[in-house]
Amino acid sequence: MASDALAGRSLPYPCYADAARVERVPIVAHRRVGERTHRLRLACPTIASGCVPGQFAMLRIPGRVDPLLARPLAIYDTYLAPDDTDPRGDRGQRPFVDFLYLVHGKFTTALADVPAGAELEIWGPLGNGFRDLPSVDHLALVAGGIGQTALLAVGRAALTRGASRVTLCWGARHGAYLADADDFRRAGIDVHLATLDGSAGLRGTVIDLLDRVFAPPGGANDAAAPGHVVCCGPEPMMAAVARWSAGRGTPCTVSLEAPMACGIGICFTCVAPIRDASGAWDYRRTCVEGPVFDAANVVWPEATVWPETTSTGSQHG
Amino acid sequence: MPHPDRPAPAPDAGRGLARAAEGPDLSVSLGRLRLPNPILVASGTFGYGREMAGLVDLRRLGGVIPKTITPHPRRGNAPWRTVETAAGLLNSIGLDNDGVEAFVAHQLPWLVDCGAPVVVSLAGATAAEFVTLAARLDGLAGIAALELNISCPNVSHGVDLGTDPEACRVVVAGVRAATRLPVLAKLTPNVTDIVAIARAARDGGADGVSLINTLQGMAIDWRRRRPLLGNVVGGLSGPAIKPVALRCVHQVRRAVGLPIVGVGGIMTIDDVMEFLVAGASAVQVGTASFADPTASVRLLDALPAAVAELGAGSVADVVGTLALPAAASGCPAPVAAAPSPVSEAPPHAR
Repeated sequence: MASDALAGRSLPYPCYADAARVERVPIVAHRRVGERTHRLRLACPTIASGCVPGQFAMLRIPGRVDPLLARPLAIYDTYLAPDDTDPRGDRGQRPFVDFLYLVHGKFTTALADVPAGAELEIWGPLGNGFRDLPSVDHLALVAGGIGQTALLAVGRAALTRGASRVTLCWGARHGAYLADADDFRRAGIDVHLATLDGSAGLRGTVIDLLDRVFAPPGGANDAAAPGHVVCCGPEPMMAAVARWSAGRGTPCTVSLEAPMACGIGICFTCVAPIRDASGAWDYRRTCVEGPVFDAANVVWPEATVWPETTSTGSQHG
Repeated sequence: MPHPDRPAPAPDAGRGLARAAEGPDLSVSLGRLRLPNPILVASGTFGYGREMAGLVDLRRLGGVIPKTITPHPRRGNAPWRTVETAAGLLNSIGLDNDGVEAFVAHQLPWLVDCGAPVVVSLAGATAAEFVTLAARLDGLAGIAALELNISCPNVSHGVDLGTDPEACRVVVAGVRAATRLPVLAKLTPNVTDIVAIARAARDGGADGVSLINTLQGMAIDWRRRRPLLGNVVGGLSGPAIKPVALRCVHQVRRAVGLPIVGVGGIMTIDDVMEFLVAGASAVQVGTASFADPTASVRLLDALPAAVAELGAGSVADVVGTLALPAAASGCPAPVAAAPSPVSEAPPHAR
């Protein structure tokens, strides 16, 4: 049963889709950028100009009932011109929005075949994004798999807001999945990579990488330690990063990757167990109350095998 | 967010009045429940309405049915809660809600102001819980009707009350005695004879039936030898189930003298018209709102032209006009007095 604190929960939540729009927009570019990884650019001025880092949009292939539903994709970054490789100009003036996605189910398989010039249905911007992230001198971005897509814009924004350093630690199965890491480098972010098979960067998990990049707290190099960790990736990976951060006393913010059916709070699919101020937990919709949460408030699974050896999640791709 | 400029509800709005210049009359009646148009949004697929305020002009809808409420807060089922299947969606949310008191305090006031008729969906574990909920809501301003969710496949007892005719009759009769509001019973298709359940709902005093809730189903990840839903089994919705829903509407229309709200896989205006012709006086848009948040108003936009295409002056004139082949099999004989979509019951109390 839900906690008594819930009874006093007031509406509205801060992040309903009040500013979102449902549109049909053209694909201006669509290409493969890595192993099963594709990059999509949409001409979508209302979403591009109105989003904040960490928000997402729902994308759907028009006119089909199979795949039936849209899928949530993190807004990677926004651009001023159709062929820009890096953002320039004021965020509010940029009409183009990019998404990177991993092909791993029937929707993404079908999406990969939709050519530039065709149209997609989209609604967004959605979710809270990294609105409440504190300003720190050194921000660490920690990505697993395709989770880097939620982190480029927030890293860029931190540097713009005066952070002296942003570090990305990114782990994947194989180096071919580490697509477009140069986007982070050109943004001025220090990039460190790890792969399970050693094909790129450190051989090991992203936790191994974090231990390598960041000296233990209290040591001679403590000044290099991040003041805040932002993480996105598979749930067991995020749980491990949350534990790693808690062990060092570093605040950690996560962007949860929950399967969603609607993205706008009406289906109650994408819930995650989240603690409130009293310590009691309830299922919260990651689409309208997230996807960004304080890692300390997430009830992480007790025991998880990570990294996993079996590919999963195809039903939601 | 009140809408001071919203049109006043028009419970007796001009059915039968010829307004050719303005297009067909879209208003419909289900017994004493009068609605401005037949496009409602289904429980469990529209949140509590507030979530959609930025995307849909709620004032235009024939009705909003918020997520089912229960007597006490329920966390709902463990993830995963939905899985997309071929042209469908399997869900096992588990009636995640904050309970009736939180609903009355936090959601209902906003809904009443939203400008659309509000049909409140209820679920209890027992007949007594349904009655308690109905009594709690009776007399609250701004509720147009109650819909009894006696068909949720994702909680224990939910389907039980909807699969046994006598249990259904007892629930509906109890609620009927506890409220002056029009009462719709939402029935499950997971029965051998839905006509028998619909008759029981009629005998209990229901003003109408909503047909259908989801079909029980399952999805499996064979590589891990695991079910994909946290609750193992769930309810199937979406275009995949539309033929089942149409069949249920057809059978109940032919055999039971009770107004019908059709629901199940409605995505296009063609789907809406099929349900009306089959005998539904109104429809609910469900899973389509996930695939397109504006589906409900998009269908409403397309409705006048489709009604006009049949040469009908009103939606009501389309309802139940299915032409059957002579001596068709699989069609129960119609009841002696074919039900009119407009009963002689008194106008509803709003």
